[in-house]
Amino acid sequence: MGFLVDAFLKAIHLILRGDPATYSALATTVYVSTVSLAASLLMGIPAGFLLGYVSFPGRRMLRTLVDTLLSLPTVLIGLLVYGLLTRRGPLGRFELLFTVHAIVIGQALLALPIVTALTASAVEALDGRLRVTLLSLGAGPVRRFATSLREARYGVLAAAVTAYGRVLTEVGIAIMVGGNIKWHTRTLTTAIALETNKGDFAAGIALGAILLLLASGVNAILYGLRKRA
Amino acid sequence: MKKMGRLVLGVSGVLTLWGSAWAGDAERLLMATTTSTEATGFLDALAPKVKEVLNIDLQWVATGTGKALELGKRCDADLLLVHAPDVEEAYVQQGYGINRRRLMFNDFVVVGPSEDPARVKNCSIEEAMRRIAGSGAPFVSRGDASGTHVKEKELWRAAGFGNEFAYPGYIETGQGQMATLDIAAQRRAYALTDRATFIKFGQDPSRAASLRVLVEGGEVLINRYSLITVRPEKCPKVRAAAAEKFTDWMVGPQGQAFIEAFRVGGKAVFFPDAQGPQ
Amino acid sequence: MSRLSSLAGDCGESFSVPLYLFHDVEQAYKGRTVLSIGRWAVRQGIVLGLVGPNGSGKSTLLRLMGFVEFPVRGTIAFRGDRVSRRRAQAVRSEVTLLPQDPYLLDRSVADNVAYGLSVRGVRRNRAARVQEALRWVGLDPDLFGARSVRDLSGGEARRTALAARLVLRPRVLLLDEPTAEIDAHSAQLVRRAILRARSDWGATVVVTSHDWTWLRGFCDEVHEMRDGRLIAMGHETVDPGAAGASVVISRSPSAS
Repeated sequence: MGFLVDAFLKAIHLILRGDPATYSALATTVYVSTVSLAASLLMGIPAGFLLGYVSFPGRRMLRTLVDTLLSLPTVLIGLLVYGLLTRRGPLGRFELLFTVHAIVIGQALLALPIVTALTASAVEALDGRLRVTLLSLGAGPVRRFATSLREARYGVLAAAVTAYGRVLTEVGIAIMVGGNIKWHTRTLTTAIALETNKGDFAAGIALGAILLLLASGVNAILYGLRKRA
Repeated sequence: MKKMGRLVLGVSGVLTLWGSAWAGDAERLLMATTTSTEATGFLDALAPKVKEVLNIDLQWVATGTGKALELGKRCDADLLLVHAPDVEEAYVQQGYGINRRRLMFNDFVVVGPSEDPARVKNCSIEEAMRRIAGSGAPFVSRGDASGTHVKEKELWRAAGFGNEFAYPGYIETGQGQMATLDIAAQRRAYALTDRATFIKFGQDPSRAASLRVLVEGGEVLINRYSLITVRPEKCPKVRAAAAEKFTDWMVGPQGQAFIEAFRVGGKAVFFPDAQGPQ
Repeated sequence: MSRLSSLAGDCGESFSVPLYLFHDVEQAYKGRTVLSIGRWAVRQGIVLGLVGPNGSGKSTLLRLMGFVEFPVRGTIAFRGDRVSRRRAQAVRSEVTLLPQDPYLLDRSVADNVAYGLSVRGVRRNRAARVQEALRWVGLDPDLFGARSVRDLSGGEARRTALAARLVLRPRVLLLDEPTAEIDAHSAQLVRRAILRARSDWGATVVVTSHDWTWLRGFCDEVHEMRDGRLIAMGHETVDPGAAGASVVISRSPSAS
């Protein structure tokens, strides 16, 4: 119990002192999770919409596949991305391994099935009368897509929040393809892993507290946007 | 809706600028190394000096000797700092590395609980290993192909045990040195460790009393670190020039002085060892 | 189809291409036939009532006329031209359907009414037109305009849905049970709005209802449906009291 209090005090100390290593890890975390989320939203929302809205042959199979991908372990994704980005690998010439960009790629792949599946569910949950209503008011296919998406906005927002929480807290991908390089690819989660490995549990928990603070801050912003939406 | 659009554009603009700032202007040198050089804080202290003097942005992935060598084979690192001389020699002979230079040394020690159930204190290393295995006392191994793990297996072989070595009470953690020492402390077990990491371990007052150095000394327990540059013929993208610049500095007077001056808790943990090219 | 326009009416009536011409139209869902109409014409500019019990096919007919659904057999011509799925999008900008159970978008009342206008790219006077349409259906724009649709009663929601269609001044207005869940006063407003549609911009209106008394009060023609068929149509007058008789009432378009 004592070391929890110890850890909490340490967390406050790290934040207030402006410990540069901590702030670097924080900044890296914010960067990679935000960019990877944005990429996954860009690809996942249209994909999820099509999956939920349009009926085509093999749709149910595809839906099941996407739902299965939700359970992909991060270390597996990390391994996959490593294989792609290693210098001997297909994308090796871009020299992305052990950079933040590698983490972004991996996390985007992690978030993509989440965004797709949850958007598809949100779209499937749309009122069945919506389509006829939009048709009867003269809306064309593009407009129907945009309006339907807007009607499903709360579900889509929930998808974004869920995906963000997932990438914010993952460690398998960041460690495997980021390398936990101090100042460069060390995120809050990989720093926690390192401190734990070194046996410095108090530091680990302190960083964990900061991570939770970050996560709740982000959620607060996203739900504030919900009020406006 | 328009406000959302502008917000998104603004945020992505900031992020793009931020992302490109990661590039920096100093030359990047990616080193694959062991956990001991990181855990002791050695590399943390070295990096700013190297940046200042050589304008090289030293980045390192600390994984353990075995994995570091693998990274070199896959061309995912430029430079290796490892401590398993026999394995290193084979590596260079097989054509994966060049310009192998001895850099520094410290020593391995056998640590264990103060009650020392196998009575190994002050024994020779072979005798100590025999007593530990013979009495079935708990022993925690790295089990991760790290330099320490390689040395540990050498020691078991030298004491007369086979390659596939195990007995009840012998466990493999597959983790870094600090974590392994933690587990050893918890289980009141013996372990092999490099002294530098053990000094760092002992800095934490709650751990200081849990393990003690029981066996030390002798040529066979010397722990030598070397730098190896990944061979450009095998890996064309290797930053060979930067690696050479760094290596030259590290084995030169300034680098060696840095090694000698480095302290953990007031104690020296690495000793300069540079000689001619290997 | 354009052959029709070349025929001269020889009974003194001016002949114009019917707005809708149904030709052996059948609609079925999951193999079950729900609508079967051999030949049927709807003239431009009339207010047409459709009466019949539940399941008689009124809503299906209206959906076909709104081109939000397509028959499994037969053709429907609009203004003399057969409407294919590809052409339907263009036709739908002139023909507006108010379904029996209307759906409102999750936004404010005013935004709902303005939706069709924004689809058509109408920007000028949009707010004024929205307010006008709300007044037509008896909803005070100052009170209701900014209100979220979640805070509306059933009747208010239906009237909002109606306003969203009226505001478009469509050539054809198809209303499926517009007075369900609406009190008598509001039903009056709906009727007035329908007639205004015809007089202000010459709309053709098709209205369905259970209540033929209400319909005959203002419709030019009332057709009856049962079991997916039109069983009585045209201008015959029949004794409304006769048991089992189909009731059709006609009025000449000039009287109102």
